[in-house]
Amino acid sequence: MRKLRFGLLAAAVVAIVALVAVACGDDDGDGGGEGRGNTVQTIKDRGELKCGVKQTQPLFGFREADGTVVGFDIEFCKALAAAVLKDHTKVEYIDASDASTRFELLNEEEIDVLIRTTTITASRDRELGVDFAQTTFYTGQGFAVRTDSGIDSTSDMGDAIICVQTGTTTEQNVADHFTDIGLEYDPQGGLSQDVADAFFSGRCDVLTADASDLASRIAVRDDAGDYKILPQIISKEPLAPGVRDYDSEWKDVVNWVVHGLIRAEEIGITKANVAQMAADPPNTEVARLLGVPFQGGEVAALGFDSVDPQFIQRAIAAVGNYGEIYDRTIGDNIPRACTLNDLVINNSGCPDGQGGIQYALPYR
Amino acid sequence: MVDMPAQNPQRIVLPPHRERARRPRIVRFREWARRNLFNSRAGTALTIITAAILALIVYGVVYFVFVDANWRVITENRWLLFAGGYPMDQEWRLWFSVMFVFLLIGLTYGTWASLGRRDHLFIVLASGFAILLLAHGGAAIWSTIWYLIAVGLLYAGYAIMIRMPRDASRGRTLQQRSVAGLLVAALPIVLIVLLAFGGARPRELEGFVLNLVLAPVGIAGGLIIAIPLALGRASRMRAISWTCTTYIEVVRGAPLLGWLFVALFILDDVIGGELIVRAMVVLAVFTAAYMAEYIRGALQALPHGQSEAAHAVGLNQFQSMQLIVMPQALRISIPPMVGQAISIWKDTTLVTVILPLRELKGNADSAIAQFEFTPDRIEAYVFVAVVFWVVAFIMSRISQRVEGSLGIGER
Repeated sequence: MRKLRFGLLAAAVVAIVALVAVACGDDDGDGGGEGRGNTVQTIKDRGELKCGVKQTQPLFGFREADGTVVGFDIEFCKALAAAVLKDHTKVEYIDASDASTRFELLNEEEIDVLIRTTTITASRDRELGVDFAQTTFYTGQGFAVRTDSGIDSTSDMGDAIICVQTGTTTEQNVADHFTDIGLEYDPQGGLSQDVADAFFSGRCDVLTADASDLASRIAVRDDAGDYKILPQIISKEPLAPGVRDYDSEWKDVVNWVVHGLIRAEEIGITKANVAQMAADPPNTEVARLLGVPFQGGEVAALGFDSVDPQFIQRAIAAVGNYGEIYDRTIGDNIPRACTLNDLVINNSGCPDGQGGIQYALPYR
Repeated sequence: MVDMPAQNPQRIVLPPHRERARRPRIVRFREWARRNLFNSRAGTALTIITAAILALIVYGVVYFVFVDANWRVITENRWLLFAGGYPMDQEWRLWFSVMFVFLLIGLTYGTWASLGRRDHLFIVLASGFAILLLAHGGAAIWSTIWYLIAVGLLYAGYAIMIRMPRDASRGRTLQQRSVAGLLVAALPIVLIVLLAFGGARPRELEGFVLNLVLAPVGIAGGLIIAIPLALGRASRMRAISWTCTTYIEVVRGAPLLGWLFVALFILDDVIGGELIVRAMVVLAVFTAAYMAEYIRGALQALPHGQSEAAHAVGLNQFQSMQLIVMPQALRISIPPMVGQAISIWKDTTLVTVILPLRELKGNADSAIAQFEFTPDRIEAYVFVAVVFWVVAFIMSRISQRVEGSLGIGER
């Protein structure tokens, strides 16, 4: 009798556990696969944009002493809020500093858009339920060494200790690179702050990370002259906003806001003159971009039905064009002229083999 | 007739240890040092080496704190570290809560214990530390004044309560009940002050404020769940005891880190709501599993005669639990409970690791991301460690006092 009761109880427990597991398993899959999302409507209903940002990255996403979140990535959150909600302050900044949970936050709908120095890769695009919009910042993986170290390229790093941030694309890149050039190397891993510390206190000879990251870390130091960044770049790191898969309405808005801000720089629309340009557009293209009629004509909506035609105009009015965003948040800490983030149309004055690749697609 | 030796009749001969005690302090110290530090060649060598190491450490710490460190990373970021995204125009809510809690500490100490010399010293030191932090930036004077008022309230509450007679009387009962009632209501009151009637949204609780909210919720919620859990585990009804045992074993068997993932991914679909509320639920559920075991241990430590005697005088099961067994069991389990409370206090930092919530350590990471302060991460982390230690020390101190006044370990 007792044995029977025990057996019944055990069976009941197993049944309950199985039920719970199944119930949870239903929702657990890749959040993107649940059919078409409609994030734009969700944002409008909520009245607030949930922007997943980094809060610990110098220049790109960090916090001021009064608690406000600021940086290069943050400006794009404001632009999107201005575009969709007509108010660039209606943003809730959700912390996505932790690299390992950032895509889950997106899939669990804790955030609407992920703007935190995230590299576009094919595997992320396919496997993580994320869809990437236009690149906001181009960088690549570089190497920093002490000026007196005698290291001029990766082929000199045979005996060097190389510090690299673990758990990122950088780690894999450096491993691939040294396999390719057939050199043994001595990697030391850690968090990005820790490896930088190790490098500057002399515990490793080489620091490898995104070249922009290296530049910003060296620029802030009093002894910046003792370090140099090698010209060699071993990877492509295009950093772009990410949205959930299967939501092209929202992805298109994000995408064209970024393109619109770049286009604004190309044709000289700034935060200061955007209102005047909208009141009296000099040509049809400006009128179309700003969503205003040209000489009494029609307003071109271009099929964006979830946002009104002035969405790019509002984004520019809120944060300025791409160049203004760059100058305000990154400025001279990472020089822009003739680097990847410069406009293609500015390349004529650049030395051979250098120049920008920022290029807006036609808004028409 | 024998001649008495010429002796001072006033001289009283003392036993040897009292005799030694009469000599000047410096002589006694020298003697103590010779006996304990320089008693042999090896002993002398050991003393010198230890002293050298100690001196090096002290020098290192002093040099770091007063010369090397750039404490501006803390003082400039005071608001970021303590309140973060809390709306600045609602700052009075934070100060009101601080004053309320300080007053409550004063009342509690005055009712059940007394402040010793060491407590006063600690209050002065901690206040100095706090004022050093507050005396920078725009609203420095007001912050300092608010803080001093809070300390004043602590002493005022203490002064009133310590003057009340302690012997059993109706007044004493009333005093104890009202302070206990305030203690129980304190957490809801603080949460209402911080959040309700135009206050912050739950997500805007950040920085040190978030730690200070999460830990008490975890501890209080844990205790509320733990008591029925402990009784259930000890129950003779199989189904109940099995359920409780399963709960305890499952929850205790996985790290808090893992349960926070549950808050993020699974509780979302089960209870939904603000992430911070889900984090609170997880902390309470996790703490409860440990606390239930401490209470069960205490229940088993109670002699069986206690509940038998309760039944003998005609108390029913519930009354005997409420009046005889539980008060004693909870008293026995105070030391491990406080250990668990301190542990959960430190574990609140984990919410930043897993969840997109920013507590003190997370906001310290943000502070050192400011371009100007990127080289000052050691300072930021040392500061965070000290703040955590101060609060943990206060908890430990209060528990010692409570134990003392309840007579634990003296029976």
